[in-house]
Amino acid sequence: MVQERRILYEHLDVPNINTFDVFRQHEGYTRFEKTIAEYQPEDIAKMVMDSGLKGRGGAGFSTGLKWSFVPRDIEPRYLCCNADESEPGTFSNRYVLEKNPHLLIEGILICCYAMGIETTYVYIRGEFTLGKKMLDAAIKEAYEQGYLGENVRDTGLNINIYTHPGAGAYICGEETGLIESLEGKRGQPRNKPPFPAVEGVFMKPTVVQNVETLCNLPFIVGNGVDWYTKMGPTYADMRNDPPTPDPNTGTKLYCISGDVNEPGVYELDLGLTCSELIEVAGGLRGEEVKAVIPGGSSAPILTHYELDTRLDFTSLTLAKSMLGSGGIIVMNETRNIVDCLLNIMKFYAHESCGQCTPCRWGTPWVRDIVQRIADGEGRQTTITRPKFGITESGRWGDTGETEEVYEDLDLLENVANNIANVDTMTWNTICVFGIAVSWPAVSYLRKFRPEFEAAIREGKLVTLPVAEATVPPEENYAYQQRIIPKEFADL
Amino acid sequence: MSDEIVQIETPFQFNEENKREFDELIGRYPVKEAAMLPTLHLAQRQEGYITPAVMKYVAELLELSVMKVKDVVTFYPMFFEEPVGKYVIRICHTLPCALRDCKVVLEHLKAKLGTDVASETNLAKGTTDDGKFTLMKVECLASCDVAPVIMVNDDLYKNLTPEKVDELLEQLPN
Ligand SMILES: Cc1cc2nc3c(=O)[nH]c(=O)nc-3n(C[C@H](O)[C@H](O)[C@H](O)COP(=O)(O)O)c2cc1C
Ligand code: SF4
Ligand code: FES
Repeated sequence: MVQERRILYEHLDVPNINTFDVFRQHEGYTRFEKTIAEYQPEDIAKMVMDSGLKGRGGAGFSTGLKWSFVPRDIEPRYLCCNADESEPGTFSNRYVLEKNPHLLIEGILICCYAMGIETTYVYIRGEFTLGKKMLDAAIKEAYEQGYLGENVRDTGLNINIYTHPGAGAYICGEETGLIESLEGKRGQPRNKPPFPAVEGVFMKPTVVQNVETLCNLPFIVGNGVDWYTKMGPTYADMRNDPPTPDPNTGTKLYCISGDVNEPGVYELDLGLTCSELIEVAGGLRGEEVKAVIPGGSSAPILTHYELDTRLDFTSLTLAKSMLGSGGIIVMNETRNIVDCLLNIMKFYAHESCGQCTPCRWGTPWVRDIVQRIADGEGRQTTITRPKFGITESGRWGDTGETEEVYEDLDLLENVANNIANVDTMTWNTICVFGIAVSWPAVSYLRKFRPEFEAAIREGKLVTLPVAEATVPPEENYAYQQRIIPKEFADL
Repeated sequence: MSDEIVQIETPFQFNEENKREFDELIGRYPVKEAAMLPTLHLAQRQEGYITPAVMKYVAELLELSVMKVKDVVTFYPMFFEEPVGKYVIRICHTLPCALRDCKVVLEHLKAKLGTDVASETNLAKGTTDDGKFTLMKVECLASCDVAPVIMVNDDLYKNLTPEKVDELLEQLPN
């Protein structure tokens, strides 16, 4: 069985690790001391780039690359730590804040040193009262010990960290929503570009980074890039000539919930498979896996055909899903997919910030269609539409045939795809919340169509056996294999 | 809503302690407006909910129009514009909690408290007649590993069952 490798979480359960003294006994702040003693800021930025670290908050964007976009000649620059953790199924940041807040402070210090940043705001979701209290206490200690404030450890640097509470809006996790909210406004995302790296909070260059991403920094500096890149798979990106390395390095705090025997956070090297993770989490609670959501509720669903998918950034992208925030939600054979989609769509309809029309109107519309189907009132009329499938060329496309579908299912797919089109990956909205709505809607529908059809036909929710409920990979392009040639090979 | 239309019965003011905390807060940001959320949290903690008087006071402190403050208050679910019970019970009903039977806990709470669930525009609907509890549904509380969960004011309670809810409600001071 795959073994846990605790790095970020290694000392999580040490009593009083939240205090400066105990943290200090466990190598606390030595990595920051090494940083300032041995490296120039550029060296740290280069190490982070070479480590292949990808953001753990959702988008999975290369941290080193993001840092390289920040103009060095504009002062002041800011760091915003994203501790808004509100993606359903995600709960790893909470434990860092509540149990080991000094680790986050050390990560922030290293980032500030590398980027020449003096002010950091940690945006903590409003419900994390305990987490905020613990972090505030740790920050106070760090000031007293001279790790924060003016002239930190005689480096001549002034570094300040402030916590900032959110107030219960999911969209403030989106980086520009977070910035607006931090500025004291409604948390409505901004149009991009300009990206926050260039024009962020108070219109100054801003690095937005998730808690887990920042917590990786002390270990990259402390143990070196070679050590770090040995963890997790590195693929070769065959789209480039010559192929470039596509790193999925380091560990991930996988959060697993739903139908497993031991839900929780497991720190493992990136790249283990879905079934392996379920095994690590005490096995399935139930007889059979029906579906797995791999990266928080925004991620397209995986079926029992896809349990060998590796849970890393590249593999999940190729599987037309995403690692997202690393929140894995497992569903067993007793679950009804229409019901699950309804739950998720209620969430999104509630959380849309209301700024753009496709999202403001489309999301409740999708919810209402699913509600109608779940209530047994789905429209029974059918329409005829072109049938897509594997064409003679072996590629996905219009087969020239037609198919009959229930009007409501066609409507559901259409409305969702008009918020954001999941096939072309284009969105008609300001932020990618739109994708987060249509991805689940369309993927649940395409992969579990028989269950939607049964609900309309029978006029009530019908939970089909797993094999019957799932559309096989050969029959639908919601799966990976058919349209994407192998773009990545194992390096 | 312009500043003149707001009917202020009794003006609001921070108490000594909150005033001190506010003075510390405001120094953290290059613009005053940025202190909005923490200031509103402080005010709500003192007053129980965001009254028109609170909005006016916060607007003066941050040198903004009342409208701007109202704009923010209406956006965030954690700010209340109506009185709420002494204990605000937030029950999570998002997918991972739903997979762990949060419905049973919700129904039990409703029956036990004898109240419906509050909606964002009608908090009274979820508030008990004695004003002790307000019951509301919220989205994922980032504790799905210990689902189902509720928050009672600032505290999280995990792995709930109807029995545990009974125990919990009993030990809350009046
Ligand atoms: C709708 C939406 C919600 C998001 N919520 C969060 C969140 O709760 N926490 C988080 O760290 N990132 C969240 N993100 C991702 C952020 O926009 C951003 O990519 C991230 O904070 C960058 O940090 P990283 O590179 O360290 O991951 C969200 C994105 C979107 C579109
Ligand atoms: S996509 Fe939705 S959440 Fe994002 S800015 Fe538009 S309305 Fe707001
Ligand atoms: S779904 Fe309830 S805590 Fe996450």
